[in-house]
Amino acid sequence: MAETQSLDKSNLKFYFRSSDQQFSSSKLGMWLFLFTEIMFFGGLFVAYIVFRAWNPELFTLAATQLDTLLGAVNTVVLIGSSLTIALAIRSAQLDNQKMIINYLLMTILLATVFLVIKYFEYTHKFDLGIMPGALYTFEGIEHAKASVFFSIYYMMTGLHGLHVVIGIGLMIWLVVRAKMGDYSSQWYTPVEMTGLYWHLVDIIWIFLFPLMYLID
Amino acid sequence: MSAHHIIPLKTLLSTTLALLVLTVATVLVFYINIPAPFDVIVALLLATFKATLVGMFFMGLYYDEKFNTVVLIFSFLFFIVFIGITLLDTMYRDSGIGVW
Repeated sequence: MAETQSLDKSNLKFYFRSSDQQFSSSKLGMWLFLFTEIMFFGGLFVAYIVFRAWNPELFTLAATQLDTLLGAVNTVVLIGSSLTIALAIRSAQLDNQKMIINYLLMTILLATVFLVIKYFEYTHKFDLGIMPGALYTFEGIEHAKASVFFSIYYMMTGLHGLHVVIGIGLMIWLVVRAKMGDYSSQWYTPVEMTGLYWHLVDIIWIFLFPLMYLID
Repeated sequence: MSAHHIIPLKTLLSTTLALLVLTVATVLVFYINIPAPFDVIVALLLATFKATLVGMFFMGLYYDEKFNTVVLIFSFLFFIVFIGITLLDTMYRDSGIGVW
């Protein structure tokens, strides 16, 4: 008990009244960051909406080049990773040190699966000449502005993919610290915040999947 | 105290199950071929419902201090304003912007 007390105190900054206050302040700060993330991706969603409103027929044609099955599998993979990171937080709350690490590793594994699938999707398109911007050489879509659809596709999924990579980096850092026994029910703020970030990455994919892959 | 709520295992698992079922529903709706614009509307409603489930149970907003939910709802409202004002411009032009 004395040990957990000191662990608790060691993470408490002097400008907070209590650990609880510190924890909810961190959480509010994280939510404000997620607000900026929503507006960040929001700009791209607006580009998507404007361009689709102008060229609805192009979206029907271009979406046929996207593999619905791979998109659906990636959706399931990300939902699974959201569950495993939620379980990692739960393990921290229940003081189960070993399972924090195991669930984090499972999340990293699922995130990697997501990226591998994305890699195969991208390289398949590159082989066909479906490249972003001026590099676009594909001739299978009879539409003058086909390259713009794929520029939006690469920007949105690429930025999302970058978030997945950053998420993996954060989780590796969490695993290292968890192995040092830094997290317990007394203090697990970084695990909680990474979880919130990861769920947002999942939510963005939940919108990207039907908007990109499921257009008829 | 509420900030440290331990979410029951059953809640986490049923949320996951609901998300998987809704993903299958999203794909099925695509193959049914609902006429536009209702296909997009249904897809977005399903996605919003899924996002709400993730927010409430995975991100713990259901158990949290309500102010975090207020932040999320405001970010959504500002995003709608962003879309709305942009479309007020782009939908009422005689022709699009050259390259687009």
